[in-house]
Formats: sequence, structure tokens, C-alpha cells
Amino acid sequence: MSEAAMKIINLKKSIGKKEIIKGLDFEIHKGEVFGFIGPNGAGKTTTIRMMVGLMKITDGDVHILGKSIKQDYKEAIKEVGAIVENPEMYPFMTGMQNLKHFARMIPGVTMENIKEVVSLVNLEKAIHDKVGKYSLGMRQRLGIAQALLHHPSVLILDEPTNGLDPAGIREIRHYVRRLATEKNVAVIISSHLLSEVELMCDRIGIIKNGELIAIQSVNDNEQMEPEAITVQLEVRPANKAIELLKTNHQIDATLTRGLVTLQIGREQIPNIIKTFVEHDVSVYQVEIPKSTLEDKFFDVIGESVNG
Amino acid sequence: MGNLFKLTYNEIFKIYIQKSTWAMYILLAILLIGLGILSNTMGDYTDYTEENWRTELQAENEKLTEEMEQDEFMQGYNSSVIAKNNYYLENDIQPVGYGAWQFVMENQLFLSIVSLFTIVVAGGIIANEFRWGTIKLLLIRPISRSKILLSKFIAVLLFALVTLVFVIVLSFIIGALFFGIEGLNPSIVIEGANGLEYVSVLGQVASGYGFKLINLVMMATFAFMISSIFRNSALAIGLAVFLMMAGSSIVSFFADKEWAKYILFANTDLSQYANGAEPWIEGMSLSFSVTMLIIYFIVFVVAAWSVFTKRDVAGN
Repeated sequence: MSEAAMKIINLKKSIGKKEIIKGLDFEIHKGEVFGFIGPNGAGKTTTIRMMVGLMKITDGDVHILGKSIKQDYKEAIKEVGAIVENPEMYPFMTGMQNLKHFARMIPGVTMENIKEVVSLVNLEKAIHDKVGKYSLGMRQRLGIAQALLHHPSVLILDEPTNGLDPAGIREIRHYVRRLATEKNVAVIISSHLLSEVELMCDRIGIIKNGELIAIQSVNDNEQMEPEAITVQLEVRPANKAIELLKTNHQIDATLTRGLVTLQIGREQIPNIIKTFVEHDVSVYQVEIPKSTLEDKFFDVIGESVNG
Repeated sequence: MGNLFKLTYNEIFKIYIQKSTWAMYILLAILLIGLGILSNTMGDYTDYTEENWRTELQAENEKLTEEMEQDEFMQGYNSSVIAKNNYYLENDIQPVGYGAWQFVMENQLFLSIVSLFTIVVAGGIIANEFRWGTIKLLLIRPISRSKILLSKFIAVLLFALVTLVFVIVLSFIIGALFFGIEGLNPSIVIEGANGLEYVSVLGQVASGYGFKLINLVMMATFAFMISSIFRNSALAIGLAVFLMMAGSSIVSFFADKEWAKYILFANTDLSQYANGAEPWIEGMSLSFSVTMLIIYFIVFVVAAWSVFTKRDVAGN
């Protein structure tokens, strides 16, 4: 699990005098799904293009199974399957012709491999139809099939949920999870919508203005929980409660929409309630507004959901 | 080498699976058949036999002279036919009738259309990958960009070759059907650089097509370069076709300039040196033109290559 499939080392990209990617450093492990999240224009696609050699690396390096994409391009890229931006294929060719076309570009891909990926993405029925007639979801699946032809160790999917309906997204999630668990593939998924990929990722890296500003595990609650949480109390009388908090606990609380709001550590809550009970303050409700990963994401990148 | 073959196969596959390519061949076939029918109905082709060819030629000459007196418009063409007929008579050579080989020889004009189609293919072969977005999937393989570019260039040349063979073979078949085959290696009298000459038709086919192929390859390479640099097929095709059409006008426009002989189009027609004829511009020679062609070719290829291999493939 912990072995690094891809290592990004101080990766930088400048175009002209402008530095677009400002030194990224992170690792993606085998069998892990890594969400690469950031608003549009943050540098996700640029980073991905550098990972696969479509763009020159200004400084730093990308190692794939220990091989440098700069020095040892052919050996490194052999281990990578990718869809960069949209899953574009030749529209005048059938799905099968497209797959065969790309299979010819990689040594050692057999007809068996082609059949295997077609069945993995459930495209058997439409595989002999022209890609021009495919729906976006089908093209996305064909794109994944194409990326898996040569059993790569690293799968890169750039905005795979773009333009897909919820059913399509669920389908992608299903394939991605299966690949990571069953085939031990390291999967990198970029998206500007955290909510769409949150459920399929093990870890999330957030990029903003070309810098990685946070990496966190999706299921690790403790790490996500900050020291002080917001607590809202429905108490009567509210003024007395605020005063008590000030005198007995040295906590500044405010009254918003009839609720006493304060920032405290989780462990302090029982003590506060005890104080209230002792001083005849009635407690009707204690609420900790749950902040989702998405709120966190926007907290970190400093943008509101609506903005 | 194995994967260069596969890459070239891919490129050829992509060219020939597109309907627009088939439209090109259908158009060529229609034009060739049409020309065959037209020549068959308009022309007056006599079969010359051992006994009667002398009287046939004399009769032809009389008829042509008469026609010339009535219609001045026909003067140029008729007098050249009479001159050729006289050449046969004077040298006592029995002329061959019109046939498939001569039809093939005359159809070397079709090479302009082959050039046009090759330019369309060359102009699109890189630009289209960018337009379709498939360039990204093409370049993330364990294959160097140089090799991918090379496979595309080979595919363009193969397309030109196949189309050329198509024109020659179809011309021969149509010629054979309409006019018959005039022998294995017929010879005819033509107007060469030094007056009338008695030459092999096959030799004329080879040199006629061969000399025009140089221009075809140069313009296709030019379109290929523009396609690589600007990723825009319309620009590549437009520029290349324009230059192909206007090439000789450009040369004659600047003919009095010192540097005119360095213009590509002053050098693409090597037939100007055939049979010891005088070149268009003073100071030019066969080796000069060949050197210029090689320099232009290398410049085109290096420009296409350096842009293609170094470019950052970014979004559109």
C-alpha cells in the first residue's frame, strides 16, 4: 500500500516569466485513489500534462515507479495510462478500431488485452459502432479502456466526471474503486468539484494558484477535526448563559438568530452544560454544525460556494 | 523498426478510413473515365497497317491543310500534326495508332490533382490530430515524437504514391478499353527541345511523371510543415495550393531579380534541363537546382520536426 507509484518532486512550470506551477511535492501510492482538486485555472491540467510528458517540466521531476519522466521517458510512460481533458477519440472510427489503433502504439498489447478492457467497461455491445455516435459517458468509458490497454501502474483521469450525469459518475466511481482495490493501480483523478470525486478517493490534494495547499485523507476524521469547533446552543435565558460563559469559562460567545454561538474544544461541552444546569439555565439543544469536506475545501481555497 | 511499421500502418489506416479520401478517388475515376469518353467520341483515331500507313498519313495531311485554310484557329495544332506526319514519312517509320500508353502519357496533367489531394492529406495529418484532440493520446506512448512525425510523413508519401499508381493504372485500363493497347513499348514522334524526336512512350511517361513528382513532394512537405507549425489544416492546404498554382508566376514576376533563381519554384521543374535545353534563368544548372531542392526540403522537414518535438501540447 505505501509504496510510491508516482512521486512528484518540486515540480515547477513557467510560461514566459509567469510561474504557473510553483513547486509541487507529493506522492501517490499503489492501490490508492488520489483526488487532485482545485478550482479551474489552478494548474491541475498543467500538472497532469507535465506528468505524462505533454508539457516540458521547467524544474523538478516526476518519477513513475522510480523512473524519471524527464530522463527515462519511454520507460516511465509505459507505466501510465491517461485521459487528458476530454476523452477524445477518432469519431470516424469504431470503438474497436480506436482501441486497436492505440494498442499498436504500445509493445506487447494483445487482442486478449483489448477484449479484457472492453468487458471491464461494459462496452461489448457498442464497440463496433462509430465513436461519433457514442454518448459522452460511453466515450469516457472507451477512454478508460484505452488507458488500461497495457496494464499501467498509474492511471490518470483528468476531469473524468465532467459533463456526466449522476449515473455516469457512479459508474466511473465503480471502475476506479475496482481498479485500485483489485489491480493495485494508483489512480489520480482531477476535478474542480470535490463532491463528485470525494466518494471514490482515499486522499485528496488541493491545489490553488499552482500550489498544493492541503493534502488529507478522506476517511480520517480526527485529522480533519480542528482544535476548536463551532457549537450552537439553544438556551434560556440566553443573556445569562453568555454571562456565565464569560465568568466561569472565560469564553466569548455571541448571540446569532437566537442561538448562543461559541468556539470551543469538543471536550469542554459537558462542563459547559453542567454550569448551565447548576445556574438554572435551560438547555434545549446543543448543535455542532457538521462541516463537510466540501466546506473545508472552500474554506481552504477561500471561495464561497456561491462565489 | 517494427513499431515504425505499425505507426505508419495506423496513419495510413486513418487516411483511408475517412470518406473524404474515398471521395478523392471517386472524383479521379470520374474525371479519367470522362476524359476517356470525350477523347473517344471527339478524336479520329486511325489504325495504321503495314500497307496503308503512307497513304493514310498523306490523306490526313491534305485534310488538315484544307481545314487550316478555312479555320485559322486550328493553324497551330494542325501544322504541328502535319510536321509530325512528315517526320514519319521522311524517316520511313510506321506510326502507331493511339492507345493506352499514350493516354497514360497525356494524363500526366492529372498529377496536379494528385498533388492537390496530397497537399490536403499532408496539411491535415498533424493539424487534424490537434483539432480532434487525439494528439494527446498519440503522444503519451512509449514512442518518441520524432518517430510519430516520421510515420506521418511516410504515410503522406505513401498516399501520394498510391494515388499516382491509381491514376496510371486506371488511365491504362480506360485507355485500353477505349483505344486498345498500342504494343509493349511503342514509340512516337514528339516535339522535344531540339525539334521533332522519335521517342519511347514509356520513357515519356517515366520522365513526365517523374519530373512532376518533385513538385508534388516539395509542396506536400511544405503543407506538412505548415500543418506542424500552425496546427491549422486550412492554412496549410490554402498556402500550399496557392503556391503550387502561383509558383511559376512568382518566378516570372521576379525573373529579372538577382535572387530569382533561389526561389523554390524556379527549381522544382527539372525538365528545364532535360535534353540540354537552356534554363529559365541564367546561372542555373541541374546541380544548382538539385542543391536548392535539397536545402528547401531539409528546411521544411527540420522546421516541422523541431516545432513538433518541442511543443507543449496545451489546451486549445
